[in-house]
Amino acid sequence: MTGESERLRQPRATPGSGIGSGTGTKRAANSLLGTAARLGGLVFAIALVMLFFAIKSDGLFLKTNNLLGLLRYMSSLAIVGLGLTAVLIVGEIDLSFGNLYGLSAMVAAVAWIEWEWPLWMAILAAYAAAIAVGSFNAFFTAVVKIPSFVATLGSSTLILGFTLYVSNSNRYDPRYPPPGKPDVSSGELSFFRGLANQDLPGDLPMQVIWMTGIALAFWFALRRSLFGFRLKAVGGNPVAARLAGLPVMRYKWFAFLLVSVAASTAALLDFSYVASTAPDAGLTLLFPTFAAVIIGGASLQGGHGTVVGTLLGALLLAVIANGLAVTAAGAFAQQMLLGFVTIGAVVLDQFTQRWRANR
Amino acid sequence: MSASVGLAGLVKRYGPTVALDGLDLVARGGEILGIAGPNGSGKSTMVGVLSGETPADAGVIEVNGQAWTPTRNTKVAVVHQEPQLFPNLSVAENLLAGRERFRFGRPSLNADERALVDDFGMLGVVDRPLAGLPLSFRQRLEIMRGLLQDAAVVLFDEPNSALSFEESAELFENMHALAAAGKVVMLVSHRLSELATHCARVAVICDGRVNVELTGDDLTPEQIAQELVAGIVVAERTSSEWDASGHLALHLDGWTHRRGAFHDVSMQVAAGEVLAVMGVEGAGGRELVRSLAQLEHATGSLTCAGRVEYVTGDRTGSLFSNLSVEENLALRMGGAYTAPFGWWRRGASRAAAAAAKERFGIKAGDVADPIGSLSGGNQQKVALAAALMTDPAVLVLEEPTRGVDVGSKADIYRQLHAHARSGRAVVLYCTEESEVFECADRVVLVSRGRVIADAVVGDFADVEELARHLSAVTRMDEHLTPSGSPTRSMPDGANEE
Repeated sequence: MTGESERLRQPRATPGSGIGSGTGTKRAANSLLGTAARLGGLVFAIALVMLFFAIKSDGLFLKTNNLLGLLRYMSSLAIVGLGLTAVLIVGEIDLSFGNLYGLSAMVAAVAWIEWEWPLWMAILAAYAAAIAVGSFNAFFTAVVKIPSFVATLGSSTLILGFTLYVSNSNRYDPRYPPPGKPDVSSGELSFFRGLANQDLPGDLPMQVIWMTGIALAFWFALRRSLFGFRLKAVGGNPVAARLAGLPVMRYKWFAFLLVSVAASTAALLDFSYVASTAPDAGLTLLFPTFAAVIIGGASLQGGHGTVVGTLLGALLLAVIANGLAVTAAGAFAQQMLLGFVTIGAVVLDQFTQRWRANR
Repeated sequence: MSASVGLAGLVKRYGPTVALDGLDLVARGGEILGIAGPNGSGKSTMVGVLSGETPADAGVIEVNGQAWTPTRNTKVAVVHQEPQLFPNLSVAENLLAGRERFRFGRPSLNADERALVDDFGMLGVVDRPLAGLPLSFRQRLEIMRGLLQDAAVVLFDEPNSALSFEESAELFENMHALAAAGKVVMLVSHRLSELATHCARVAVICDGRVNVELTGDDLTPEQIAQELVAGIVVAERTSSEWDASGHLALHLDGWTHRRGAFHDVSMQVAAGEVLAVMGVEGAGGRELVRSLAQLEHATGSLTCAGRVEYVTGDRTGSLFSNLSVEENLALRMGGAYTAPFGWWRRGASRAAAAAAKERFGIKAGDVADPIGSLSGGNQQKVALAAALMTDPAVLVLEEPTRGVDVGSKADIYRQLHAHARSGRAVVLYCTEESEVFECADRVVLVSRGRVIADAVVGDFADVEELARHLSAVTRMDEHLTPSGSPTRSMPDGANEE
């Protein structure tokens, strides 16, 4: 999708032609400027949309309570989105994290409430489900080598089916166990609710703290560790990575594990916050997360994607979702605007990239 | 009616590089015109211009005496080394694609088309998908497509480099038949003995123009070989003394390719030595070199003094366009820059990259620049530096200076020598005598999957003598074993992905 990858895809064995050409310093400056312009543009777009909603809702949108709710919604998007960023960087795609989100919360709920397991085992079970799903996706993608689009499309509906089976299509709430089941211990309940509900200064949602911590960890992993560096290399040129002796399969595997664990974490936090979960809880998560990550600059071609970009993308989507809710624009408007913004952002990006390449 | 085609003053530039520099060439129907030239001579650009894939900057093309502008799929049919067809369609559908006569319904051949398919012996497979058919069928299909669009010129671009002996023979029969029917037939090839046998005339292209045309008694493989290297400015031989009594860096015995590209190869490379493996495409040399880096499956005994690093000839196989110069350099080093908890010591990696930039003479503004901002030659230096920084016992390279400017070329050769002389070994795959002469200590010639010559490069006075020697050996080998053992191979990597 980017100019760079296009150029790489059509190698010409003409003398003097390299992967790209042009004068070095100018292009380097352009690339730096490009990143800044992209993030700057995103910040500008967010400000613009916020201004629009502020006016449209007569200031209701800017009320502290509303902004805090917005941040909470953004946290879920961002946590899952960061995992998805890793998968896109390595050049794969994951469509199953939405239903895995539903599965993880449900596994924890059923194990804890229905099977009366201790809470810590229930949470471990949720993560075990995440690792199983991630490994399943990675196995079919990296070992059997079928396209990840197909593998995860299949696993996505498989997971939903399994969630419905485990939950018997029920909704679970730890405060109100199903008939015939004892109440969960109050200590466990208050610990679990405390994961996402804490009295923080300024009424800051606890999930924002989780998001910040996870984002820092991702920033370190993707930007400052050998792992992130090689992840980018594998996604940028899998053939060269294989020839250079990088364990391509292992990196892909790990990326799928990352998105799965991230989706589980977001699911458990949301479950803790609202104290109830349904089998289809993650269905509406899929599209906004993809939109956030792609708006944030990750490329479906692999090799590109940043933590800051994904965070800003998640923020933009949270602003849009929240603003539309505050202005009572109706569900149709949210869906339509979501589609419009996603395509618009990527078209705009491609346009500026071409413009920079041709300058 | 006999066709003719004339090229006059063709010019094509890629940035500062001149690929075609006023090329003049006349081809007449009824003869096979051979075209030879070293890599980067402008040969492929000429093919591109004729086929309409590359627009020329200046010059005139005449077909049958009339000025003609090349557009895709007209007048000139190109038979590629890798046919450019639709693997998902059947033979009949491939013939019809782009010139369908129907709006609804299934594509079907008319009587003339069926007769043509029959002529080429493919009536039995006309409804089979192309993907399952052998390469020779696909090439015949390309010829047929050309004939159906009434091409005056059929241009064969290295057509038989991946064909077996029998398949090649059939292909040449087809070529002669086309020529007899009055078409202009051009054959671009690296196989000199075939050019000498089948062509009435051979044009040798150097630096974007026709250097010489050989006919009659002058048309021998040795003569072509000599003309091929004559036009090239051969740089000073990069060479220095070394202690040949050292240990072996690499030892092959009974080394046999699993898909039959080479058999029973025995070869030794001493520490300190730069060895060139030569051979035309399809002879097995490339596969042999790749097998040293475990990129092709082979059996037999391979003893190696240490780690092998490998650099592809094609930079898209060794560099990462989404990474910076520094990151490309650091990639193979990996663990050397990591601290506990996987922390990547950016400072150390940056310092190492800056040092490498200095040592390898990489011309880049800053090591943080994207790799795409460098020239081709400098990109190649980065690819080489990335491999050399890990100090491998054996460094394996495919055509390390392909598409690289003269200055970078000398730098690269110097680095290879420095690495070898430090007690390591360097193995190169080359297709050009000039590269062998400029860089290697010893050359091993591979033909039809066997090593047929092993010579010390320093024994030859100049590159012409080396070229004559190698081509004489090839010819002798082909005379001794006329039917040969058919070799047919595709690089493993092509099928694995």
